[in-house]
Amino acid sequence: MKLTGLTDERALRAVPPFVGALLAATIALQLFWHSLQPAPTARAAALPPAPEIAGLRAASFGEPVATTQMLLLYLQAFDNQPGISIPFRELDYNRVAGWLAAALRLDPRSSYPLMMASQLYGQVLDTGKQRAMCDFVRARFLEAPDARWRWLAHCAIMAKHRLKDSALALRYAADITRHAGSASGWARQMQIFILEDMGETESAKVLLGGLLASGEVTDPSELNFLTERLQALENAGKPSAESKSRH
Amino acid sequence: MSGIAIGYTVQGLFTIISVEKTVPPVHISTIGKYTALEAIRTRVPATALLTLAVLLGASLFIRELAVTETARFQIGFYAAAARFCAVFITGLYVLASISREFSDKGLEVLLALDVPRSHYICGKLAGFMLTACAIAVLLSLPLWVLAPAGAAMMWTISLTMELALVTVLSLFCIVTFSQLLPAAGFVAAFYLLARSVTAMRLMGANPVAGQDTLSQQVSRVLVDGLGYLLPALDRWTDTAWLVNAAPEASVLLAIVAQGTIYIGLLAAATLFDFYRRSL
Repeated sequence: MKLTGLTDERALRAVPPFVGALLAATIALQLFWHSLQPAPTARAAALPPAPEIAGLRAASFGEPVATTQMLLLYLQAFDNQPGISIPFRELDYNRVAGWLAAALRLDPRSSYPLMMASQLYGQVLDTGKQRAMCDFVRARFLEAPDARWRWLAHCAIMAKHRLKDSALALRYAADITRHAGSASGWARQMQIFILEDMGETESAKVLLGGLLASGEVTDPSELNFLTERLQALENAGKPSAESKSRH
Repeated sequence: MSGIAIGYTVQGLFTIISVEKTVPPVHISTIGKYTALEAIRTRVPATALLTLAVLLGASLFIRELAVTETARFQIGFYAAAARFCAVFITGLYVLASISREFSDKGLEVLLALDVPRSHYICGKLAGFMLTACAIAVLLSLPLWVLAPAGAAMMWTISLTMELALVTVLSLFCIVTFSQLLPAAGFVAAFYLLARSVTAMRLMGANPVAGQDTLSQQVSRVLVDGLGYLLPALDRWTDTAWLVNAAPEASVLLAIVAQGTIYIGLLAAATLFDFYRRSL
């Protein structure tokens, strides 16, 4: 039937019957063929090794930032493959670290790979994998301490409270103090409080005294607080309840 | 024409036979021949050759960048890029060719002659498919050298089927929409959807949230419906065949069967729309 004025198509009767029959037959055949096919099954694919940095640079076509973002989104979404969800802890963390390192080399100013390492992949309930991510963050921190200290500080807190490894936390805190000159005061002082909690009051006193003497701390309130801490350490000779509640 | 008119009154597929009896199929071969000739004269083979040279050069560059599995890198890059370029060249050529014919009023001139519309479509399809076949074979040539011959052969046959499907899809779209932009948009959307429909079905069947809400049920039904209507092109022309292992012959047979059915479906839909088209 032709809808005059609404369309310039010819009426349906202009179509030869064999064309209609052919169309109906092929549609029926397509539906029949599809019904014969097995339903697709979800298969978890293993994370492939990270691409070479030279190849990534070539593939970025001069857009390393955008390529890094795509790379990281791919990695981030890898746990959610079509029809299946893979827990992070089942991923190969050596490969995860390889992907994160590749992204960081492509765009060194991006904080996203370190955030993923410390906040996403570092949160799995597997101490080996948590340590692997912390090691990754430390290695990348040493490449640009002033830009990446906050992620190592997070790892120091994670080492102390999740991994219950105060020595590791102290090493990370010491790295921040030693290498990251522009880190916030709380991060640079973290080493002192970890030492205090570990019962290393003498070392804590030396460090705290040294920090006050160096003139690095200029804020009056912070100076007052740190001086009080030093006095408390000297008077008590052991970690106070207040410092324990701090962390 | 009266012979054709009488033939068209007979119901069902038997009508095709009567039509062929009354009108010589020489129209189809003539239109097909000139369509293929048009492809040569508009430098489609030259474009395909240039694409081959550029992709081969780029794949050699990729090979040099790779530290290990260099041949695998080269084959993987070349095959994926060649497949995409072949689809692009074929689809765009069909759309542009018919669009130009509509604009130049060449179609009106042709149909003013004693040529049934079905012969015009079948002739065009024959010419375009010959061109698509040539593009598929040409772009596959490096793989016959780089990859195992069996895998390269299966890949070439699958690419030929894929290009034949894109050809008839493009013809259907340009006949239906008449304008280049909506037709090209539909072809691109259809192709991308067909290559991702399996993943969509899997995601619909296994929601990550694990909840069986009404919206999820509706989307699952819609995606399953799409699965019935679209060919799963993600299983076709797979690069993994070349770099891992050639598939079983049954995989290729299934592709050929599905391709034949779908090409028939789109050709019938094209004929349906073309018969309703008012000049």
